[in-house]
Amino acid sequence: MHELDLLMGGFATLASNPLALLLALVGVALGIVIGALPGLTATMGVAILLPFTFGMDPVSGLLMISGVFFGGVYGGSVTAILLRIPGTPAAAATAMDGFELTRKGMAGVALGTATLSSFLGGTASIIVLIFMAPILAGFALEFSAPESFALAVFGLSIIASISGRSVIKGLIAGFLGLLIATVGMDPMDGFPRFTGGYTELFNVPFIPVMIGLFAAAEAFKTLEDPKVRLGMAAALGRILPDWPTYRRMLGTVARSSGLGIVIGIIPGAGADIAAYVAYNEAKRFSRTPENYGKGELAGVAACEAGANGCTGGALLTMLTLGIPGDAVTAVMLGALTLQGLQPGPLLLKDHADLVFTLFAGMLFCYVAMLVIGLGSLRFMGRVLQMPKSVLTPVILVLCIVGTYAINNSLFDIGIMLAAGVAGYFMQKWDFPASPVVLALIMGPMAEANFRRALSLSGGSYDFLYTRPITVVLLSVAILTLLLPLVKRWRAHRMESRRPGATSPQNQA
Amino acid sequence: MSNPPAGSERPGSSDDFGNAIPLTTKIANLVIAVVLIAIAASAIAATSDFPKSMLAADVGAARFPIIHSGALILLCLILIANTLRAPTAPAADGQARVGIAGYAGVALGMLATAACIAAMEHVGYGPATAVYMAVIMALMGQRSPVWNPVLAVGVTALVYGVFHYMLQVPLPVGSLFE
Repeated sequence: MHELDLLMGGFATLASNPLALLLALVGVALGIVIGALPGLTATMGVAILLPFTFGMDPVSGLLMISGVFFGGVYGGSVTAILLRIPGTPAAAATAMDGFELTRKGMAGVALGTATLSSFLGGTASIIVLIFMAPILAGFALEFSAPESFALAVFGLSIIASISGRSVIKGLIAGFLGLLIATVGMDPMDGFPRFTGGYTELFNVPFIPVMIGLFAAAEAFKTLEDPKVRLGMAAALGRILPDWPTYRRMLGTVARSSGLGIVIGIIPGAGADIAAYVAYNEAKRFSRTPENYGKGELAGVAACEAGANGCTGGALLTMLTLGIPGDAVTAVMLGALTLQGLQPGPLLLKDHADLVFTLFAGMLFCYVAMLVIGLGSLRFMGRVLQMPKSVLTPVILVLCIVGTYAINNSLFDIGIMLAAGVAGYFMQKWDFPASPVVLALIMGPMAEANFRRALSLSGGSYDFLYTRPITVVLLSVAILTLLLPLVKRWRAHRMESRRPGATSPQNQA
Repeated sequence: MSNPPAGSERPGSSDDFGNAIPLTTKIANLVIAVVLIAIAASAIAATSDFPKSMLAADVGAARFPIIHSGALILLCLILIANTLRAPTAPAADGQARVGIAGYAGVALGMLATAACIAAMEHVGYGPATAVYMAVIMALMGQRSPVWNPVLAVGVTALVYGVFHYMLQVPLPVGSLFE
């Protein structure tokens, strides 16, 4: 109850500081815009705003940055659902079902579900941060290189369940993504691999590839059909899902939020991984897994609750241990230090009043995100009323400018274009794009941690079966990879044994 | 023409178990598999130049690319075998076909994007993007001599304002104007 008293005190302090509340609102609104624009991530938003917070008091400055962080993670879903442009890597998972719902004329409900689930996931994560920070902080310390490698392998195993009609084609896309992920500096020795002498390729150009595969490929596809060129994009429909529908998703939202919090706590794992893992688990627990990928509302809810659940988890290790959970919290760590606060075990003890005022402010940020999000959906949804002949060029221009904004590099736009062309043909011939994105996220993490673990164990592979968390994660990964194959094989056998059954025709 | 979305599956209808496949898909599967095998084989060949790791316990820079390439080759061979084994189905009725004009539109859109990137290096963001937008609008069937330039310049200016002034992201000026 000590925490509750401190939290109430935090709310009282916050109420007497209207400037901090206003800046939190500004931060959330800016975060949503930054998250929605392709190429601009929450990390970039926090970094852009950091210099503006120097002259502010700690609560105002840190709340503004937190607002950008939370708004940025949520904002990516808006363009992912409406236009299949994932504003952030996490939103690439949301786009899988979100854009299908838009195609069905259910964009409004998809956006409303994403907003509600983001709010619930994020709020749950902050509540866990407030009440369980010291207990859960120890969990992060259990994660070293072998566990992080196992988590990455578990993430990669999801490829099988997001492969669409053909697991083989999904795996091909996944391994192609893994091969692309090896382009750049070798994680142990710093040797440049497959770069062809281009310094621009020293880091895996992940976001340009993602923008190209999803957004540019979809825009190019629009160019091929003369009938749809001058038509409207889609209808928005109602905004909020009806209560019985959303009530059925509450279990998925709770599970996804929990997964997001746990993944957020793990250093090096972020909202992108949480979104994919939450999606996979939602599909695994669903009674209608076959609807996933075709416009399943629960898929959108899972991705958003998972991604926003990550925020509190990432803040938890940053505040209590001084270990940033992801890139955004690494920048926030700098912001805290600039404000004269030293993140670590003593922060909660020495600056309890300030920290709990921040926690109260973070809860306010999530309420603000819900209000701004729901209030602006009808306005943002108007983008769908634009004729495609105007919308498609706008999407392509945003792809170009958003990609350029990452590194101020025209080379990156070239990569985006190449990925867009590849993505167009992949769509055409049923090779799913999501496994490539997943592999680009998880591949470098898997390789770096495997090699680190191997070096730490002196070249012995014992770490694969002697560490409990590693064993559990690797076992779940094997099951996740094999189950869809076994299910399809059994379904095919039943289909072919049925008397008079004919081979269903494959659609290209 | 709409493709099944990622994650969608119908029991027994997967590409993996010898169901009938239209001829165009068969050709595409085979071409893509061969191209990917060539890419993976080139990657394996390129790893021979990678230096050995300085750490005795490390597997080295080449190990993971070789594993990924090897798996890619194996999967492509499975795809080739599945494709050759599957009976050929007639092209599905009811599916909208993309004509030559459709493919030409896509190709021109891709070429226009490439041209925009090349032009941006010399003339900067503004002129390259405005012309590019007008061209794509024309390709999409919007051919108003008044609205096309107005919309192109308006959207270009709006995007410039958001990125340059609001988000402090500098956009290319162009070598001719530097």
